[in-house]
Amino acid sequence: MSARSISLPRAASPLHDRPTFRRLDLVDPYLLIATLLLMAYGLVTTYSTSYEDVAAGDPVQFILRGAIFTFLGIVTMVAVAYFDYAWFGTFAPLLYLATLGLLVLVLVIGHNVLGGQRWITIAGQKFQVSEFAKVLMIVVLAKYFADRHDKIGSPLVLAGALVLLGPAFALVYRQPDLGTSLVFVVIFFGMAYLAGARPWQLASLVAIGLGAFPLIWGLLQGYQKSRLTAFLNPYADPQGAGWNIIQSLIAIGSGQATGKGLTAGTQSPLGYLPIAESDFVFAGLAEDLGFLGAVILFALYVVLLVATLRIGFRSRDPFGTFIAAGVFSMLAFQLVVNVGMAMSLMPVTGIPLPFISHGGSSLLSVCMALGILQSVSMRRDASRLRS
Amino acid sequence: MTADQPRAFIRPYRFVAVGIVVALLIGVLTVRLWDLQVVQGPHYRSLAEDNRLLRLPVAADRGIIVDRSGKILVRNIPGFAVSVVPVDLPKAREAEVALGLAQLIGRDPSEVLKAITEQRARNPYEPAKISTKPISRDIALLLAERAELYPGVRIDAESVREYVEGPLYSPIIGYTGPITQDELSAKQDLGYLPTDQIGRTGLEWEYEQYLRGQYGWREIERDASQREVKTLAQTPSQPGGNVVLTIDDRLQHLLANELNAGVTSDAFTQAVAIAMNPQTGEILAMVSTPAYDNNMFVRGITQTELDALNKDDRHPLVNKAVGEIYPPGSTFKMVTALSALTAGTATRNTVVNVSSSSITVSGTSFFDWRVHGPLNLVDGYAHSSDIYFYTLAGGSPMSSSVQGVGPDNIAKYGRMLGFGAPTGIDLPGEAAGIMPDPAWKQATFDEPWSIGNTYQEAIGQGYVAVTPLQLLNAYASVANGGTLYVPHLLKEVDDAQGNAIMTKQPEVLRKLAMSPDDLRTLREGARKVVTSNHAPMPNAKLWIAGKTGTAEFGLSSGKDSAGRNKLGFHNWFVSFLPQHDNTDPTAQIAMVVFTFDSSRGLCETCLNPAIAISQRVYEAYVLGDPATKARLTPP
Repeated sequence: MSARSISLPRAASPLHDRPTFRRLDLVDPYLLIATLLLMAYGLVTTYSTSYEDVAAGDPVQFILRGAIFTFLGIVTMVAVAYFDYAWFGTFAPLLYLATLGLLVLVLVIGHNVLGGQRWITIAGQKFQVSEFAKVLMIVVLAKYFADRHDKIGSPLVLAGALVLLGPAFALVYRQPDLGTSLVFVVIFFGMAYLAGARPWQLASLVAIGLGAFPLIWGLLQGYQKSRLTAFLNPYADPQGAGWNIIQSLIAIGSGQATGKGLTAGTQSPLGYLPIAESDFVFAGLAEDLGFLGAVILFALYVVLLVATLRIGFRSRDPFGTFIAAGVFSMLAFQLVVNVGMAMSLMPVTGIPLPFISHGGSSLLSVCMALGILQSVSMRRDASRLRS
Repeated sequence: MTADQPRAFIRPYRFVAVGIVVALLIGVLTVRLWDLQVVQGPHYRSLAEDNRLLRLPVAADRGIIVDRSGKILVRNIPGFAVSVVPVDLPKAREAEVALGLAQLIGRDPSEVLKAITEQRARNPYEPAKISTKPISRDIALLLAERAELYPGVRIDAESVREYVEGPLYSPIIGYTGPITQDELSAKQDLGYLPTDQIGRTGLEWEYEQYLRGQYGWREIERDASQREVKTLAQTPSQPGGNVVLTIDDRLQHLLANELNAGVTSDAFTQAVAIAMNPQTGEILAMVSTPAYDNNMFVRGITQTELDALNKDDRHPLVNKAVGEIYPPGSTFKMVTALSALTAGTATRNTVVNVSSSSITVSGTSFFDWRVHGPLNLVDGYAHSSDIYFYTLAGGSPMSSSVQGVGPDNIAKYGRMLGFGAPTGIDLPGEAAGIMPDPAWKQATFDEPWSIGNTYQEAIGQGYVAVTPLQLLNAYASVANGGTLYVPHLLKEVDDAQGNAIMTKQPEVLRKLAMSPDDLRTLREGARKVVTSNHAPMPNAKLWIAGKTGTAEFGLSSGKDSAGRNKLGFHNWFVSFLPQHDNTDPTAQIAMVVFTFDSSRGLCETCLNPAIAISQRVYEAYVLGDPATKARLTPP
């Protein structure tokens, strides 16, 4: 692998034969509709679960915040889609350095919330840098794999990707944010697989990971261990490590088939459901809107994920395809893990549910990712139309 | 890259594969969701309800206790109680919280910890009351405001018993205390809670069912930190009934003042006085001294205080009017007389010539207090001649014409008059007393009855032992013409609005199978006790009839717990006041005064202090209030 292949951008030569506004017919409608519906669903959930929130005070504040960030998210998405995503490829090295810089910065000046140093304040707003780092990492890895897609079978390519991933993973893990660092790992595997990496190589990496598991386990903090194992039997310590999971199960189960109705749930507003606005937001949704509401959420996600895969499948170049692969891996993993942990199927790792969890950073970063996807979609004909 | 170039970077199978994997995962989530929400939904719904809903008892104010005219004897004042709900207190912080609480409320930390752990084992969702006494407002506020330092700790307003007169009424009213585990299991159906106070003794115990009231319930919604969010439903509590006593507070004070003055002036060391209406059995006053301050039990009695009360040989915790038995002395001559009259071995004209101050039977001498000369029954009773009553009971070599009525008859009529069995008064801890007969002696001591036993019994010494109330009740039945009532302290129970929900009716224990004439003879004799100056009442303004008694028992050496000399002479005066100065059975008031252990010289006990006390109290009570005078001695 030459140094050039990593450091120098491909010639920034996206050739447009027509301006962006004339490409609106190439916007992916399924992705757009699913995105907007999920945003709306997120607002409904925010309204429903924070209503009469005794602990947090003014519920209007949450809804207003949610609406503002939804609006900003749409703006971000449109703005990002407007530009040819190839520019991201051009500036991939810079983006990578910026990512690492931000992650270092957050460790130095970040706010400490719930035992994790994850936030920095910009213009009075707190931002969770690792959320943006995930998207930026997808772009960087996509660019890396795209430049080497013809020799993707080489273990060196895979190793190079790991070298790229390593510092970001370590910095996020150091915060500590175990959940998000796992998202990085999954993004890596998802992209590598869809980019065509040899399955045996990936399997070897998994095997090495499993082999190193006792070592990694030893490095974990006590609270992380108890959180990770509590789902196996939450009733072993119902007042302690199991409390969150039990309350989450109660919230979900008590929603029954059609839910208690908007704002009618009790587990979330009364504070039984911990971190009800983020990690366990699904439980609040399932309590108020029931099985029906949860299945509607799943359906919207299925549309979103299929549309994402389709954009990748129809991309004009490997860069777009691999971006789609990364976004797909990220969204699918976050959905499955967030919902799975709420239902005590997986360890509690503190991963937000995109669109539904409160929080501007999560929403803006996802909008950024989806904007890039739309950009990929809108320019899938670039090569064909180029004269 | 050109348009013609094959899109080698797309790997369709892999796209399909990840799609299938994610679809499967979402499928698993959906199945799990179905299981949780649809299959187990009802179960989790009820868990969610249990989480947020709490059914809280709403305490009912305990009823107050008033005297017959409505004067408040027991009331409730506001206080605060501290409880711990173990499920809300993490085990790891148990010891730390227990220590903090113990320091604030002044208890031993290990006791507090024990109360919490025991409640945790019993039912961690129910509060365990930690404070044994009302806590101050400052501490209550501190605990409530620093809830994060004291997880699971609850402050409840509670009403606290106040015994307005303390020791004056403690022997009859008693006190309340925390319910025990045994009582709780026995009374669970009645709605008692582990934190309840329950009547421990006295009227608080006796009328618990009326006084306690009924819990109301409040269903609240609470948040995860156990703060109340809102009330969802409630049923109000029903305050307990107010107990109206037959006690007349004025008479109670008159008697108590006399008895306390007697103790203060060393005339005696302990005393009992009871007054009742002989026509109904209503107790008008009941004083037992020394007593205790029942407010000590409300504010939390210390072990030292409790030990001191328990070790006191004057038995301050016992209501001596009903709970202790004493030889009745000469007051018992009424029983001997009525036995002889009813059995037919004597009439009012039976004469015994008491020509000597002693008689000797089987080599043993039995004494009288003087040489009386010839006495009929009325005079023998009025002058309290011991030899007259020896003869009436067991015959005598000096009066061979008089046949003794015998111990079996005395026991028979003694029991008819209520001796040897509790009167059934509405108080706990009543003693039965001893009404001996030959069979009793054989069974108890494995010895045959002797003539000496008969003689001693005839004058109220020896084995016979009575409670002051039994003695009064027997005299009351003579005073009212032959009806033995069940004495009672309860007049009625009123609801919070003052309407009587229960009124106590006079309860006849039995009609005496004795002739009205014989009972009149005894009333005549009792009046003559006073008029003959045997019980001197100088400047008497009322026609009091009664009988003196001096009993000898107990030690005449050493000191009691109060440091006073013991002298085993105890005086009785049991009396009644007819409505007019005649022998008709009209008395509306009867009274017994019993003074225990003179601590002065023996000769001074010749003057029975109970007589003067009785006279002063009758006169003050009857003449001190026109309405009382009109009722007890109508013109």
